[in-house]
Amino acid sequence: MAGEKLETVAVVEQKEESPKIKSVADFLDFIKKELKPRGNIATPFNIISLPIMLIGYVFIVLRLVFGLGRPITNLSQEYPWGLWIGFDVVTGVAFAGGAYVLCFIVYVLRVEKYHPIIRATVLNGFLAYCFYAGAIVLDIGRWWNIYNPMVGNNFGVNSVMFLVAWHFFLYMMAELVEFSPAIAEWLGAKKLRKILSGLTIGAVVFGITLSTLHQSGLGALMMMAKSKIHPLWYTQFIPILYFVSSIFAGLSLVIFEGSISHKVFSHQIDEHHHKQYDEILVGLARICSVVMFGYFFLKILLVVHEHAVKYVNSTMGFWWLLEMIGFILIPCFIFMRGAQRKDKGLIKLAAVLTIMGIILNRLNYTFIAYNWYVPLTERYWPSPVELVITASIILTEVWTFRWMVNRMPVLKEPPAWAKAMDRH
Amino acid sequence: MDRRSFLKVIGSGVAGAAGGSLLAPRRTLAKETFSEFYGILVDTTRCIGCRRCELGCAEVNGLPLPDISELKNETVLKTLRKTSDIQYTTINRYETEKGTFFVPRRCMHCNQPGCVAACPVKAMRKRESGHVTWDVNCIGCRLCMISCPFDVPKNEFSKAFPRIQKCNLCYDRFNKGEMPGCVEVCPTQALIFGTRRQILEEAKRRIAANPDKYVDHIYGENEVGGTSHLYLSAVPFEQIGFRKDLGTVAYPEFSTGFLYAVPFVFVLWPIAMLGMNRGTKKEDGEAKEEHSGGHEDKGKH
Amino acid sequence: MRRTVLFLLIGIMYIILIAVGLGMVYTVGETVPVKEPPIMKPDNRISIAHTEIFGKLERPQVIFNHKKHEEALKKEGCNSCHPVNDKQKLLFDFPKKVKGKGEKAVMNAYHDECIECHKQMSRDNKKTGPVVCAECHKEEYTGLKLIQYPVVEFDFAFHDNHVKKLKEKIGKDDCGQCHHTYSFEEKKLVYKEKTEGSCYYCHDLDKKKGPELAAVTKVAAEKGLTMRKASHRQCLNCHLEYAKKAKKDEKVGPIECIKCHTGQYKTVAELVKVSRPNREQKEKLYINVENARLKGVSFNHQSHEKYSKTCRSCHHETLKACKECHTLTGKAEGGGINIANAYHEMFSEHSCSGCHNVQKARKECAGCHNYIVPMDIATMAPKQETCGMCHTGKDPLPMPSSLSTAGLSQDKIKEVTVKVLEKEYEPAKFPHLDIVNKLAKISNDSKLATYFHRNIQTLCEGCHHRSPAATEVQKDSPPYCRNCHMIAFDKKNMNSIRLLTAYHNQCMGCHDAMQLKKGSSIQFAEGDRCVDCHKKKVGAPAELTKARNQKVYEQNKKIILNKWRPE
Repeated sequence: MAGEKLETVAVVEQKEESPKIKSVADFLDFIKKELKPRGNIATPFNIISLPIMLIGYVFIVLRLVFGLGRPITNLSQEYPWGLWIGFDVVTGVAFAGGAYVLCFIVYVLRVEKYHPIIRATVLNGFLAYCFYAGAIVLDIGRWWNIYNPMVGNNFGVNSVMFLVAWHFFLYMMAELVEFSPAIAEWLGAKKLRKILSGLTIGAVVFGITLSTLHQSGLGALMMMAKSKIHPLWYTQFIPILYFVSSIFAGLSLVIFEGSISHKVFSHQIDEHHHKQYDEILVGLARICSVVMFGYFFLKILLVVHEHAVKYVNSTMGFWWLLEMIGFILIPCFIFMRGAQRKDKGLIKLAAVLTIMGIILNRLNYTFIAYNWYVPLTERYWPSPVELVITASIILTEVWTFRWMVNRMPVLKEPPAWAKAMDRH
Repeated sequence: MDRRSFLKVIGSGVAGAAGGSLLAPRRTLAKETFSEFYGILVDTTRCIGCRRCELGCAEVNGLPLPDISELKNETVLKTLRKTSDIQYTTINRYETEKGTFFVPRRCMHCNQPGCVAACPVKAMRKRESGHVTWDVNCIGCRLCMISCPFDVPKNEFSKAFPRIQKCNLCYDRFNKGEMPGCVEVCPTQALIFGTRRQILEEAKRRIAANPDKYVDHIYGENEVGGTSHLYLSAVPFEQIGFRKDLGTVAYPEFSTGFLYAVPFVFVLWPIAMLGMNRGTKKEDGEAKEEHSGGHEDKGKH
Repeated sequence: MRRTVLFLLIGIMYIILIAVGLGMVYTVGETVPVKEPPIMKPDNRISIAHTEIFGKLERPQVIFNHKKHEEALKKEGCNSCHPVNDKQKLLFDFPKKVKGKGEKAVMNAYHDECIECHKQMSRDNKKTGPVVCAECHKEEYTGLKLIQYPVVEFDFAFHDNHVKKLKEKIGKDDCGQCHHTYSFEEKKLVYKEKTEGSCYYCHDLDKKKGPELAAVTKVAAEKGLTMRKASHRQCLNCHLEYAKKAKKDEKVGPIECIKCHTGQYKTVAELVKVSRPNREQKEKLYINVENARLKGVSFNHQSHEKYSKTCRSCHHETLKACKECHTLTGKAEGGGINIANAYHEMFSEHSCSGCHNVQKARKECAGCHNYIVPMDIATMAPKQETCGMCHTGKDPLPMPSSLSTAGLSQDKIKEVTVKVLEKEYEPAKFPHLDIVNKLAKISNDSKLATYFHRNIQTLCEGCHHRSPAATEVQKDSPPYCRNCHMIAFDKKNMNSIRLLTAYHNQCMGCHDAMQLKKGSSIQFAEGDRCVDCHKKKVGAPAELTKARNQKVYEQNKKIILNKWRPE
């Protein structure tokens, strides 16, 4: 059964010439021109998202003025980490894992099939890290000291957080280098683009190494919370679980976000690419299902290894089963089915379920299965301010993504001179 | 392999090795000093629940003074309280079959603190004298709160410029040769201060001299690798609010496994990936080595 | 379109599952108050549960109304349910016959006898009990605690009553009506005069016995004769006999459960005037051991009889003299405990020292005696004077006169002002003389205390614990606490107690042990308890500490905020 019907659209020809920027004045003019909005401003999406974003910015100022206490956040001494760390940073970074997985597939293993989506994925990853680093600045209590781990006001080398901070920083640089050829193309800087393309493989290798470590590092942060995390979730191998789950988390988000982008920016993509995208979806679904299957069994193995099977017969056990079966096993099978039948609808459904599952998993480690024995009155649930700020961060990221995709060769073809450069 | 790619491989490998070893945690040998860890022995059979330690602590640290009149105590002691950002130590009352006991809880000043290992900027430090103190280069990430098995560090959530607050064994007073504020004012000497060796000996002596009075266990001797706050009790420790499931492994050990893997990943990953990248390279002329984005028309699909 | 709807439904179902799951997970920490199962009053009913055989019960226990059955089967008599032995004595066992061992056998036995009887009566058209499971194993009995009857204490009053009543009925003293021993030669119960003892000696199967009695209890155990069975057999058969013969309104021994198992017990004081059983025991004994190191002890058996509820307090195994089982070197019959330890064991309920230590732990005495290490012949070498208090030879020491402070220099000890540590509180005015007088009165009220506190100086040592009374009295400087206890901490000796602690631990410790309302740490008085002993200084500590607090706070603020680079 075929999936959705594709609309044939005319391919937008690269009408604009590459800008010739020779001086700072030229550059400023160019930027001014680019900042002008393109297309309809009063779309439903804009009308809904803009107020949220503006309120979010006001809330951000309030947070900086008043600190993290109630009513800004619902953080407490029992739950020092809440939505911002749990969702924005940890889950967001897991989702941004699509970048390194796809870079590995495309650049290291040289599987050309996935080439068309690599730029969008890397851009997404880069923006994700940028914005989630911003979320970190918001969340830490003494944000004016945030440069301390970087400048060396005492390197706390025993700390996983130190490692994660540095990796975030370096990885952002690496992704910037990976994406920079597109920026160079946008600016029309030919020489720059040549140099930057040469750096790509180095940046990719560096980026994948860093990704491995900080994806697992986010898990390692919780290693010392052994007495507070429920035994069904806590194992000595949490970092490995985080790393493996980041693979299919990232790919699921690629599927999810890619489907939306392909609809929204369909005018930038030609028919050939649309068809390719279907094959890409199937390929990604296959990868996800295999990794999820492995992850499922890895989790079971670890629970048995830690002698935690007896906890399955309890309330937390039910919650664990819900996560395992409902959000790992079932999407795994739906992915398999969708890949078998080349059914885009099924694949997208599985991607959504996986995304929900990853959010659940990461939030479990942060405040649901963390300090799980605390009475209801002291429990944590996100405050409205936290939710609005999170929403505004995500929406700002989406707006930035949209701005960049509409102007830079992310989904659309690069300029002719860039293609020519690649052929030599 | 041509020169450029060779250099790239070697370069990445060396960079990885250097970076990895830079980031690997080091077990440095302690300097040959003669300072010992200091700590407090808390004998819960002697505590009468007067809460003067809370008052003394608040006085020396500039915290709001608690009301410790009898009437207030009666209501306050009805609920179990935890330490907070304005109270570094609390007394809790426990009714057991051997009678009523009062237990002062505060930072345990572990020998190998989880909070110290967790801090990315060494704001939480274990001093040579055993005091675990907080400093102002803290970035407020609150990983210390996650990592403490006793839930001790408290963040000043209500402030715009928050600090992490916890007992620091009166480090400043110690440097002036004075006793910690709580020990100074305890009327029944339920708290005694000395080197960890001294107070451990004293604890063992008390148990040996009064075998029917104390449970034969010193809480903090081996828990989480040993702490500098030791407790004696007349009843099993679970009955007076202590967790018995914390194990004897020092908490930093839980994350060393991961940290030790870092240099390996830093060295092996780049080599493996570059190897794979080279290994999958098609013959020259048929395909390009590196390209970044954009559509490649190979005419094959 | 249909697929989209399907997917939406799946999504909604997932969201509901998450919401429900979160709700459950977030309330996991709620502690459900544990409800204590209600306790049923006995009321002549018996719990049939046999948890020792069945373990955790599948069906609720059966609560059996014995009185109802008794009345219903009055004509048929007790032996319609209970077996009878060859001497026509009822054995209060039920069921009559259990074929085999184990859960099934016991269950079947009960069902066979109970339900069969009910069925038979129903065939005879009589009002009868249920035959259906749930009507005996009632739902409402689930979770109820098993009915327990309070133990019957057959105290001296009961014994005396029985002796007198039986003498009336039979016409002579016949201890053999109840007392017996087991003869291994004849393999049956016999009565030997002058060997009467407590039922517990042979029928307390839970207690470990010496070799002689262990053989007897083994036999008793084989026959299943626990205290419960033995006492029911012995007492009830006799009571039933007299109940049958009884004239109207004549008081006889009860046959209803709750009439014996009243749960009311007499105190030692109430039993003082009751005559003890007559086993021709001597009034005064001279306890002397051949080849012992010290002189013998003159022991007033008659007065000591008044201090216990049963003879078994001291005669814990048999009514023989201690030295018959506890020899100088110890033997198997005495559990290996030699005679010295038998008398001096510190914590035993049966030894002299043990009982005296229990008396010293009463709250009137505990104030001082909590802190005085009791005499222990094993580890502490007691002083000659101490041993000489009891080991006096044939005659005891004469009872000293009552203690009094009349002979002491009153002005020196009337009131002591403790002001050396004065800070937040006013100096404490300590009513020294009043306290000594009170302690003297307590001592005078007890014969044990009077005998051992031979002079008033003994009381001084309760608080002035390290200096011998004789030397302190001679010195010009009084025995202040601060003579030995430093004000500051002794950093080298962790065990040393500083002056603040000495005052508080000594004073409050005594008040705690004596369970006084004022000045103790365990009783929360109304208002500020510290004020019981010393008044708060006016203006302090609120203003003083506030000023101190502000200064310290300012200092700390400077340190914390100005320092950004740690050393």
